[in-house]
Amino acid sequence: MTMLLVLALGVIAGILVGLLGIGGGIVLVPAMVHVLRMDQHLAQGTSLFILLPPIGLGALRQYWKAGNVDLRAGFLCALGMIFGAYAGSKIAVPMSTQMLKGFFGVFLMFSAVLLWLKARPAQPAVPEVAAKASAE
Amino acid sequence: MNRQILIDVGVILTGVTGGIASGLFGIGGGVIMVPILGLMLGFSQHRAQGTSLVALIPPTGLLAVLAYSKAGYVSWQTGLLLIPGVFLGGIAGGNLARRIPAAKMRRIFAVMIFLLGIWQVVSAVRQNHG
Repeated sequence: MTMLLVLALGVIAGILVGLLGIGGGIVLVPAMVHVLRMDQHLAQGTSLFILLPPIGLGALRQYWKAGNVDLRAGFLCALGMIFGAYAGSKIAVPMSTQMLKGFFGVFLMFSAVLLWLKARPAQPAVPEVAAKASAE
Repeated sequence: MNRQILIDVGVILTGVTGGIASGLFGIGGGVIMVPILGLMLGFSQHRAQGTSLVALIPPTGLLAVLAYSKAGYVSWQTGLLLIPGVFLGGIAGGNLARRIPAAKMRRIFAVMIFLLGIWQVVSAVRQNHG
C-alpha cells in the first residue's frame, strides 16, 4: 500500500514538474515530509538522490529545438553547482531538524514569490530567434 | 572580450548560488538560477530556463548526496520508487502544459507553495516548543 502511495506521489510530482517547468525537489521534499512522514533531512537527501539522473533531458530537447539554450553558460553553471551543492550540504547536515524545517519553510515562501513574478505574461517571441528565422 | 569574462564569472557565481540552495534544501536549484540569469545577467526568460536545464543534466549534486548518505539521510528505496513516476509524470505534464494556460497554473501553484512554506515554519516552531 505504501509502495503504491510512493509510486503515485512520484507521478503527481512529475506532472507538476512538466506542467510548470520547475524542479522536482520543491514538490518532492514537502510531499515526503508531510505525506510520507519522513524526517526533513531524510527527505532532502532522498530528493537530491532522485535528481541525480538527467530527468530534464526531454524538456531540454524542446528548448534546444527553439534555440533557447546557452550551452557555454549552462556548463559554467553546472561547474559552479558542483561546489555550491557540496557547501550547502555541509551546512544542512549538522543542522537540527526543526531549524532545517523552518529554514526550508522560509525558502518555500521565497520561491513562491519568484514563481509568482515569473508568471507575468511572456514576451511574444525571443527577438534573436525571430530575427534568425526571418533571415533564413 | 572583457565583457565575456565578466558574464562567465557571473554565470559561475549563479551556479554556485543555485548549488548552495540545492545542497541546503535538497532541490534542483533551477528556481534560484532562472531568476538570476534572467534578472541579473540579461537572459530572456526562455533562454534562462533552457540554460538552467543544461546545468541540471550532469549529476552536480553527487557530492551533496554522498554527504547526506554518510549521515544516513538518504532513503534509497523511496528514491528508486519515486524516480519512474517523476520521469513519466514529467512527460505527461509537459504535454498537458500545451493545453492549459501556464501563467495561471503557475500562480495557483505559487500560492500553494507559499501556504506550504507557512505550514513548514509553523510545524517547526511547534516542534521546538513541544
